Amino acid sequence: MSKWIIEVRGLNKYFGRHHILKNVNLRVRFGEVVSIIGASGSGKSTLLRCLNGLESVQDGEIFVDGVCITNGRVNLSKVRQSIGMIFQSFNLFPHMTALENITLAPQKVKKIPRQEAEKIAMEFLRKVGLEEKARAYPSELSGGQKQRVAIARSLAMNPKVMMFDEPTSALDPETVKDVLDVMKELAREGMTMIVVTHEMGFAREVSDRVVHLDNGEIIEEGTPEEIFYRPKHPRTQEFLSKVINI
Amino acid sequence: MQFDLHALYKALPSLLVGATITLKITSLSIALGLCIGIIAGLARVWPNRVLQILSGAYIEIIRGTPLLVQIFLVYFGLPALGLNLDPFIAGVIAMGVNSGAYVGEIVRGGIESIARGQMEAALSLGMTWKQAMYYVVLPQAFVRILPPLGNEFIALLKDSSLVSTIAIAELTRTGQIIITRTFKSFEIWSGVALFYFLMTYIISRIVRLSEERLRYSE
Repeated sequence: MSKWIIEVRGLNKYFGRHHILKNVNLRVRFGEVVSIIGASGSGKSTLLRCLNGLESVQDGEIFVDGVCITNGRVNLSKVRQSIGMIFQSFNLFPHMTALENITLAPQKVKKIPRQEAEKIAMEFLRKVGLEEKARAYPSELSGGQKQRVAIARSLAMNPKVMMFDEPTSALDPETVKDVLDVMKELAREGMTMIVVTHEMGFAREVSDRVVHLDNGEIIEEGTPEEIFYRPKHPRTQEFLSKVINI
Repeated sequence: MQFDLHALYKALPSLLVGATITLKITSLSIALGLCIGIIAGLARVWPNRVLQILSGAYIEIIRGTPLLVQIFLVYFGLPALGLNLDPFIAGVIAMGVNSGAYVGEIVRGGIESIARGQMEAALSLGMTWKQAMYYVVLPQAFVRILPPLGNEFIALLKDSSLVSTIAIAELTRTGQIIITRTFKSFEIWSGVALFYFLMTYIISRIVRLSEERLRYSE
């Protein structure tokens, strides 16, 4: 077993003529919480989407738990089972209840019997504080509740790493805290997490390491103290001065 | 000019027989069209270049040529290849193949109208493309497809009057025959129109009901 759950080597990604990710190198240890910060359009989300193969890459290698996912021969579905992905827009399945959202993949992918899958689902719903919403449809849930169901849905697949793509950006301010609390709890339990976020407070408090992506390049990375209190790169200083001004 | 209600009244039983044949040929064509259309629509979005091109070509060619010509091709053209079809069968084949192209486009549109995030979320959970399509995208697409499908069924029912040209005694042909005997054009065509309207209205109600049955709030 590899020491790194995620290892990115010399990753380059283009959209047409646009060079989105430039020679990105990133390694994430088991149990580590890594926050990726940076301005909008800096490639944070794209980087995350490359890590589970939702985006193709033109150059470089990505290893997930020792398996190279960029050589074209890999069974992506298999790899994705070990990577939970949380989206900004939740992407719950609107035609299914919260419970059905959570039990679908365990049943169809892992072939877990329905009753068993429902038991697991209820455990995770309890974990995110939404046990009583099991029979609710997504349209009956608030944004924060939807995101917590989405987190439970990912957790039910028992992933080795959870990726969050701006999980609170589409939420009403008053529901952000519930989602962040769930994420903090996960971090405390030792879940490996990669979080693209604009929540600097969260990044500072929870991360083991913060990565600053600027215009497709990782220009600085370090502990939260290093990045938030002693940023070295002028662009990091500039970015932080813009986002932490209150 | 006066409206001879009695002439229409006398024609009703025959028109009714014609209408049932119209209904029969339309239902069979709808069934065939649905089968072809669902396959063609899925093939349009299947991650396979060859399938996409084949179904694309089928849809473009069928939509780009008149149904009447397609009916003639099947009924008068295929015998040249040694394939002699009963008019009714030829009619169903021509109409079903024709409808399949439109249904295919409706299915493709419905699938593509489902936000990409749905497919991505399903894939991210480890589902294969097929599983994601079957369990996540298609059930949602189906709800959106219903209204345009209803339109297509109604259009097909009315277009079935074209098979009157290959001597199938459906509603329109029955009307023509009665008129050659009675010369009551206005009365009989009114009756024919009324029967078409009743049938399309029923289809429209059925589609509406199933829409309401299937709707979930998005």
